[in-house]
Amino acid sequence: MRLRTPLVLAAAAVAAVALVAAGCGGGSESQPAADGGKKAASQVLKMAWGAEPPSLDPGLATDTTSSNVLLNIMDPLVRLGDDLQPVPALAESWDVDGKTVTFHLRADGRWTNGDPVTAHDFEYSWKRTLDPKLAADYAYQLYGIVGAEEYNNAKPAQAAALRDKVGVKALDDRTLQVTLTSAQPWFVQQAAHHSFLPVHQQTVETHGAKWTEPGNIVTNGPFELEGWQHDASITLVKNADWRNADKVALDRVEGRIIVDGTTRVQAFEAGEVDLLDGGGLPPADMPRLKELPEYEKYPALGTYYYGFNLKNIPDENQRRAMAFAIDRQSIIDNVAQADQIPATGMVPKGIPGFEVIEQHFLPTTADLEKAKEFMAKAENPKKTITLFYNDSPGHKEIAVAVQAMWKELGIDTTIKSQEFAQFLEFLGPPPNNAVDVYRLGWIADYGDPMNFLELWTSQSGNNNSNFADPAYDRLIEKARNTPNDQQRYELYRQAEAMLTGPQGALPIAPIYWYTYTNLERESVKDTFHINPLDQFDLSKVVIREA
Amino acid sequence: MAAYIIRRLIWTVPVVLLVILMTFGLMKQIEGNPFRQTERAVPAAVQANLERKYGNYVKGVATGDLGPSLVLRDRTVNDIVKEQFPNSIELGLLAFGWAVLLGVPAGVLAALKPNSRFDYGAMLFSNIGFALPNFLVATLLIYFVSVKWGLLPTSGWTTWQHKILPSFTLGLVPMAYFARLVRGTMLETLQQDYVRTARAKGLRRRRIVTVHVLRNSLIPVVTAAAPLLGYIITGSFIVENIFAVPGIGRYYVTAVSARDYSVVMGLTVLLSIIVIFANLVVDILYTVLDPRTREART
Repeated sequence: MRLRTPLVLAAAAVAAVALVAAGCGGGSESQPAADGGKKAASQVLKMAWGAEPPSLDPGLATDTTSSNVLLNIMDPLVRLGDDLQPVPALAESWDVDGKTVTFHLRADGRWTNGDPVTAHDFEYSWKRTLDPKLAADYAYQLYGIVGAEEYNNAKPAQAAALRDKVGVKALDDRTLQVTLTSAQPWFVQQAAHHSFLPVHQQTVETHGAKWTEPGNIVTNGPFELEGWQHDASITLVKNADWRNADKVALDRVEGRIIVDGTTRVQAFEAGEVDLLDGGGLPPADMPRLKELPEYEKYPALGTYYYGFNLKNIPDENQRRAMAFAIDRQSIIDNVAQADQIPATGMVPKGIPGFEVIEQHFLPTTADLEKAKEFMAKAENPKKTITLFYNDSPGHKEIAVAVQAMWKELGIDTTIKSQEFAQFLEFLGPPPNNAVDVYRLGWIADYGDPMNFLELWTSQSGNNNSNFADPAYDRLIEKARNTPNDQQRYELYRQAEAMLTGPQGALPIAPIYWYTYTNLERESVKDTFHINPLDQFDLSKVVIREA
Repeated sequence: MAAYIIRRLIWTVPVVLLVILMTFGLMKQIEGNPFRQTERAVPAAVQANLERKYGNYVKGVATGDLGPSLVLRDRTVNDIVKEQFPNSIELGLLAFGWAVLLGVPAGVLAALKPNSRFDYGAMLFSNIGFALPNFLVATLLIYFVSVKWGLLPTSGWTTWQHKILPSFTLGLVPMAYFARLVRGTMLETLQQDYVRTARAKGLRRRRIVTVHVLRNSLIPVVTAAAPLLGYIITGSFIVENIFAVPGIGRYYVTAVSARDYSVVMGLTVLLSIIVIFANLVVDILYTVLDPRTREART
């Protein structure tokens, strides 16, 4: 189907032409941009967010939408490039000395009320997130810091004492010293996560839970939150006093919240919005949308996998057989349809060190011959199994496909769907006895393979497979204390081999590595970009003339 | 009359209490945890802390405070009701408006000229309105009216143009229902002896229809209207979701799947009160339309 001319852009273009013709074009606005076309006169971006942000409190936010709004109205210590290496933002530099990381803050960081942004703000914010009274879901993001986990789990009587033992300290207004539990070389890039953003102490204390509402909120980033109508709209305006404001092109970002995927696409096609937030396109429309010039995809750090309950399917040859029988490419081409990448390991492609860690064992398409060989080696294979998934869109279709693929091995699979909340309870850990196989996914919190591999340690709250191997735990602990990248990647390779290598235990059968798909008007396509952690920086976006 | 209304109002209290009890019981029956919304496991100690909070919440309910949302940590149930509910009411009333404005006249006209082309047309339309699910109508309307012809915006809830498609979609089923109901009761009333009497004594047709037939035919419509009003205010989850209307229907559904007990409880109580009041209003309307019921009730 042909796209309608976006009315807004057409109107903007007409206005621009009129201005120039009348000889009153505002100088710099019509200058050619560094690359691509001319910068459009109107720098108002209309975009659709895929969800209402559940919270704009950096301590409480746990989802992508909140995270992306926050990262555009706040100034993180560092931002991540595409290679996931940290780039200075509010921190102009940092020193890493073993377990001690020292951030040196810029002098010109300002809160929107005029107060300077200081290292004390960070110390306050991180301790606030860890405060057991706040009960923040993502407090664990800061557990790499000495004393953080102890304080977060403190009984009320000991909380005050443990608070002072948390290893984050403002040495002066511009120096923030962090003491880690082990040398975690990914800590600096982890600081780009929204959980590490500062909050303005006085504002939080004055307004309590309402401090994130427009009018109350005090931020320090390239944009300000002008309006937020719950479930309807989020309006951001350029923060003219931001330290780097002259580099920000957009004057306003008029965001609408459209939860339904099909409506989001229709709003884009009707020209009401020029950009979606990468929150996913409806699978049924994918074949058509992929042909549009506005279609864009980005690699993501995330793994969609099927986990095995090792108690119920104890024979690793059976698990190998089942992993080999899955036609990953066919699932992507015919079912998932969002240009995902067939996953041959837990650690996703695109993460630093992937080339070292990759196992080259699991096939991308079904290898039935090998699968049957493995199956023949299995002792007492379990031929009647139950596969559990949650009832969100898309999972059932994949389960049905896998059910048919396992049929080839003589395995009868019953598929059972549960609602997400019930499903998570059911999976434990340890999982309910009824679970033989389950579906889950993991999206990275930070760009180091540790984030994926530590899930499978025996104590992990996210290991629902009953896989427990002390040798694996030791390997992960060793990697945690290995600052040298190459040496650490080698340890990761050994860990991945224990999961999905030729001798691996196969507690999981990875299916695909996620991709973010999006629709972007060509006027913003060259400057809008989603990084592999699903973050985007609107301060870099320039609207070109249509 | 006043005594009747007071008696009805007093009766709402035990009904609401029963609703609270049943909702709470049902919520606690299903597995799941309001504090675990993602794959990320909640550390055990954090969980314990949160459960202490939950205990406090239950105490709050006993003292009449609906408390905070357990999942949307920055908002209270009252905030959600205050901000989203007016939109749902507006959507529901507009939809109801469509139903009355188009459904009732269609039924009346169809009954006055039974088996005419207009009658067949209206009843065909009514059948379609019944048969098509909301989500299909919504998607088709957006596709043609907004995307293809560019006449109205696809979604949102700001100007009157935004409100046409969602309210029409939501109003379609009650509209079809009203049309059929009015046609049926009108036809029946037209056969009544008193209508024949009225005709025999030489009253003009217009007067017979408006005074004698229509008034008596509307009683079943009013009966049906109360639960329908409740249904379109509470049942607009799909329409709200597709048209991105910032209403309360979607909170109702998402709160159940997120096990946000306090939100589910608060909204259930609110909606049951609305249905109870809609029923009360209907009962009062009866007495206006049908004098016979006045004596029986007071």
